[in-house]
Amino acid sequence: MDKRFSWVVLTVLAACTCKAFGGNPLTELAEEVKDKGWIVFSARSANGSWDLFVMRPDGSQRRQLTDTPQVEEAGPRYSPDGKRLLFRTMKRGTVLDHDQWGFAGSLTVADWDASNRRSLGSEGEFTWASWLPDGKQVVCLTLKGILVVDLATMEVVRRIDRQGIFQQLYCSPDGTALCGVGNYRGQTWTIMRVDMADGKVNEVNSLQSCTPDWFSDSRRVIYSCRPAGQRANRGYGWTQLWMADAAGGEQRLVYGEDGTHVYGGALSPDDRYVLFTRCEVDGGGAEKAGGSMHLMRLADAPTIRGRSTALRKLHPETKDGPVLTLPRGWEPHWTYAELEY
Amino acid sequence: MGTMRLRWAVCGLVVVACAGGCRQRPADGADAEVVRRGSVEVTAELVEIPDKFPDIPMYDYAFVLKYRVLEVHRGEVAADVIYVGHYNPLKARAEAADARVREIGGDVKRIRAGDIHRMALEVPIDDYYMGGIINKYHGTAQGPIYWAVWTNRVVR
Repeated sequence: MDKRFSWVVLTVLAACTCKAFGGNPLTELAEEVKDKGWIVFSARSANGSWDLFVMRPDGSQRRQLTDTPQVEEAGPRYSPDGKRLLFRTMKRGTVLDHDQWGFAGSLTVADWDASNRRSLGSEGEFTWASWLPDGKQVVCLTLKGILVVDLATMEVVRRIDRQGIFQQLYCSPDGTALCGVGNYRGQTWTIMRVDMADGKVNEVNSLQSCTPDWFSDSRRVIYSCRPAGQRANRGYGWTQLWMADAAGGEQRLVYGEDGTHVYGGALSPDDRYVLFTRCEVDGGGAEKAGGSMHLMRLADAPTIRGRSTALRKLHPETKDGPVLTLPRGWEPHWTYAELEY
Repeated sequence: MGTMRLRWAVCGLVVVACAGGCRQRPADGADAEVVRRGSVEVTAELVEIPDKFPDIPMYDYAFVLKYRVLEVHRGEVAADVIYVGHYNPLKARAEAADARVREIGGDVKRIRAGDIHRMALEVPIDDYYMGGIINKYHGTAQGPIYWAVWTNRVVR
């Protein structure tokens, strides 16, 4: 009898220990992603300016890549092979406008560790630049149109009508399409897709949407949206993270939480994980110090945090998956390239 | 008696001078800016405001408004009715310029239906402005959308 009782006690203790340590969903998620490449992002550093940083996807091994108090640096993106960075460099004191930062300062290219940096063009040139798949060209958004620019010569090799797109333009990983924010059929702040072959556009999601980015399959887009009709926040609502088919349709909530605006959605290179920023103020906090960055599994979408009563009612299918909290920052971008930081 | 006349004359002069000083420009809305800016200059009546201007200080936008053209001062306008995008229409024109849109202005303090504006315009809007455009006339309006560069009030 005593022996049987001891076994029961031991089993219960083992189960509790497992739950308390091994079974923590956050710990499991952190463990799962910690060796999956690097995330580059901009953040305020000790010198008060925006500098570039990297970290492991679980937030560990945070390193400051640049320490340049004389300028602000923002919006870094790894080249497709992960060996170079593209970002904007601005005069010290420039306020990073959440909608207009891509127009500010000059375009800068550097190696993955921010060495060998070089300015491409002057202030206000090559705005909203993003990599094309070969890493030899970038695509830019200007008043005069969408420009494909050769990085070796900085010459415009192709021009496409921007068709109402006015900010946050990104090229798909396979180079076949662009996504951006624009005016489409009378609606503004619409996520639009441009076919690179024929220049045709389609709507991905209309109204009060922004900060789109591509999935690695080049078929889906992640973006922020503040759906109309929300009663929360005195009727203004909260901005949530959504995904949709780039051809339009199949919109799905990825992450939402009453009390915060969610921006800066980005995928891991294998589309298994989602990065984003949360901020209590609309705009993502770029004007001050950014927001807290977070990571979740795409398989856990939709995930809703907090009470979010109305949102939960709208999305009863929420999985409430684990969400890692990472350091403060802004516009994170992820590579699986093996880099020795 | 002579002193009295002199006093009245001085008062009259002061009133006339004040009136002249208060009126910065003629009632037709012409001033040094509106006559030189843009490629088109018109006097036009704002027919209506099709919807409430969104009050969202975090976001800048242009709102398309319908005008009946009364007079063309410069350039060519193809129709009697034109559609004009005003940047951040809740702001007085003199305070609307910002980092995104630097070269706009005028003396209109509030945009109201039925008012007559003398405007310096550019066309089409997409060649001069890159930002959000709210266009409630999409699908019904004919012709290009103009961009309001300078907007002065006309007193009739």
